[in-house]
Amino acid sequence: MLPFIAKRTATLVAAVVVSSFAVFLIPYFTPGDPVRKIIRSRVSGDVVDDAAVQSLSLSLGLQDPLALQYLRWLGRIITGDMGLSHVSRTPVADQVLPALAVTLSLVILSLGLAAVVSLPLGIAAGLREGKATDRVITTVTQSFIAMPEYWVAPLLVLVFALKLSVLPSAGWAGPASMILPAVTLALRPISYFTSAVRSGMIDAAAAEHVPAARARGLSQAQAVLRHVVPNGLVPLSTLFAVWFAGLLGGSVIVEVIFAVPGMGRLLFDSVINSDIPLAQGGVVVVVALAVTVTTLADLGHRLLSPAVEGSYA
Amino acid sequence: MSTPGNVLEISGLEVRNLRPAGGHDGGTGAGAAGTLGAGQAPLVRDLTLSVGAGEFVALVGGSGSGKTLTALSCLRLLPPQLGITGGSIRLGSTDVTAAAESDLNAVRGGQVGMLFQQPKRMFNPNRTIGQHLLEPLRIHGRLRGAKARDTAVEMLHEVGFADPARGFGAYPHQLSGGMAQRAMTAVALAGRPKLLLADEPTSALDKMLERQVLQLLDRERRERGLGVLYITHNIAAVAPFADRVLVMDSGTIVEGGPTASILAAPQQDYTRELLAASQLAPDSRRRPPPAERDILTLAGVHKTFGPRRRRHTVLEDVSLDLKGGGILGILGQSGSGKSTLARAVVGLEKVTRGTISRHLEEAGNAPERATAVQLVFQEPHSSFDPRMTLRASMEAPLLRLRGLAPAARASRIADAMAEVELDECMLDRRPGQCSGGQLQRATIARALLLDPRVLICDEATSALDALTQRTVLNLLLRLQRDHRLSLIVISHDMDVVRYMCDRVAVLLDGRVIEVAETQAFFASPAHEHSRALVDAAIPCRGDHLRSLMRGPVSLHS
Repeated sequence: MLPFIAKRTATLVAAVVVSSFAVFLIPYFTPGDPVRKIIRSRVSGDVVDDAAVQSLSLSLGLQDPLALQYLRWLGRIITGDMGLSHVSRTPVADQVLPALAVTLSLVILSLGLAAVVSLPLGIAAGLREGKATDRVITTVTQSFIAMPEYWVAPLLVLVFALKLSVLPSAGWAGPASMILPAVTLALRPISYFTSAVRSGMIDAAAAEHVPAARARGLSQAQAVLRHVVPNGLVPLSTLFAVWFAGLLGGSVIVEVIFAVPGMGRLLFDSVINSDIPLAQGGVVVVVALAVTVTTLADLGHRLLSPAVEGSYA
Repeated sequence: MSTPGNVLEISGLEVRNLRPAGGHDGGTGAGAAGTLGAGQAPLVRDLTLSVGAGEFVALVGGSGSGKTLTALSCLRLLPPQLGITGGSIRLGSTDVTAAAESDLNAVRGGQVGMLFQQPKRMFNPNRTIGQHLLEPLRIHGRLRGAKARDTAVEMLHEVGFADPARGFGAYPHQLSGGMAQRAMTAVALAGRPKLLLADEPTSALDKMLERQVLQLLDRERRERGLGVLYITHNIAAVAPFADRVLVMDSGTIVEGGPTASILAAPQQDYTRELLAASQLAPDSRRRPPPAERDILTLAGVHKTFGPRRRRHTVLEDVSLDLKGGGILGILGQSGSGKSTLARAVVGLEKVTRGTISRHLEEAGNAPERATAVQLVFQEPHSSFDPRMTLRASMEAPLLRLRGLAPAARASRIADAMAEVELDECMLDRRPGQCSGGQLQRATIARALLLDPRVLICDEATSALDALTQRTVLNLLLRLQRDHRLSLIVISHDMDVVRYMCDRVAVLLDGRVIEVAETQAFFASPAHEHSRALVDAAIPCRGDHLRSLMRGPVSLHS
């Protein structure tokens, strides 16, 4: 187990380094001179003085080798200094961290909701494969896949905010305002989780060790509880991590529609405004978090399912 | 009605498929039971047997004869589409056919323990051996906590775990097949049952391990009066241990009696066939001596796996040669490097050091020579793509390696199918729709398609029952003769090697410890390990059996 953790940690660091380098290079592939952009964001007027460009380039160290610039940049990011936003001229970290907190709560809330809904549904459907229970659950949850967020969100707003007036239509203040965004975001994970749990249950129930457990004297219910359900849930850990990582930056539609001040919206705005430091800082944080979560899920999967250990056991 | 002292009494048992013929049968998952049961005929009919306390009864029959269904009926754990439609089963004072489900949970594992054919697949892969063992201790022995743990460790010690505390914490995939079956035995005996149902528990193990498991069961029945119903397709393997032998065919018992009298004077043709099949008389065939010239030479072959620090040597300085038209047997226990050797010779595995040279000048051009060594795999069901028809699987190499036109491909495949005596309509089936024997023939046909000069059979018949095994071995011998093939027969089964081969090489931990002519080898094996292998085999089969049968019997064609 220890060598595995070491190996996975090394992979994690490598992934973060490689992706951060790609992020570092963003200014080199975007149109316009970043230095002029910086000056333009600081002074009024459209004319930029060439001398000012030269002196700023020098003071930013842009004449240094690329590798050195990258290391300097990475070192600053690691210590929490992500530079100044072009638009607001405030430190990027001051914008990224609150946005991250908001998105994290939103993602945890919706994935938690998805898990709470899909575990019992998936288990019920899997254990009653082919019966009416299974058909109803499968049909309903699968239909969620075909409901895009930009369609579900206005519909929920229409019903719960405008017609019934029980929930706020937008914003991020207090638990009530979190419900509609979380539900909207949970729908597609619900259908994928339910389907994964269902097929996990079907596979686990078909395993030959289940009748063997009955032959030891376990009742059908005991055999299902001890040997079918836990085994059937193992595949979910990986799927959960993938969705977690995906939603960190992928909740943008929901955040924009419900005016949630989260990461998705922050990244969206930073790109629209060509606010490169903000985009860079945001992406690096999301990537680091996503890679960490996937690594943790891999470790969890291995703890749950020791036979995955590989050939050098 | 029940005789005192009997731990199991079955009378007039009938098992049927409850789903109407042609109806939905739950896919192919039900396997042989599902497909056989599609008709109206019962799968088990009018079956009567009993097992006394301390008695070892062998229930013998070919695949599909209903042996396993009989055992599952005793626990009322038949697959859902099957049901007991007649007769009665009594376990001591419990009437299994009439008992309530909740009472049966006390019987299962408590009065009756069960051993299964594939022990590793019968454990939950995500739980330790100890966790499995604690279940029956809790349910039937009402043991919990440290006391249960101590008992479990003690039981693992009893079944032969050298380090029982470590075995307690081990996961199923960390055990060898033999240790897994011992662990399964400990689990089955944990509830202190009076009867053990053993469903082919050793068919997948090599002869040494088989013998150890049988001795363990034998000890249990002598020491504490355990009744054993031992199900097997191999009559010879259990002969030294069984008090009585019951022969089962097409769902019913066709013959039964004390072991010695069944072996000495079998009444039914089917029994005679089973006996002959498990015997594989070595002197029953004549064939031309192999050529002097080598067709394959291995010199100083090494193979290691894994990264440098955890390097694992699988083959060490292996030097062997195969004469043109010869049959070389490679014997060895599981893990001795046999399969790696086979893969290396075919070219599926690169050797770390040493050379494997082929002398195939007459085998045609370069691409034809490249495929002149073919492999027949061990597990026919996993060596075909389950989603492709056999025809599609067989066409692929002809298209890729020979670039033949469709008509030429079809005729080549038809010829190969005829060679292995399979009907051409099999070609449109998928692997799941074929029996093990049919598929193994198809595997051989596929190997023949590319005109091989050398055929490597890696445990090619180990997964088959004794009767099927015999026909496939004879098929291989005929093909070898007709096509002047050279064979390498890899097996853990002494009798297969003795039946097939001119020469024998013994592999131990990746080294060749002995090479000898077959007759000389079995007469006086030189190496200590070879002696142990031969000794483990002989009392179970072959010579000992024939002595029991008082004189030779010639029953094979």
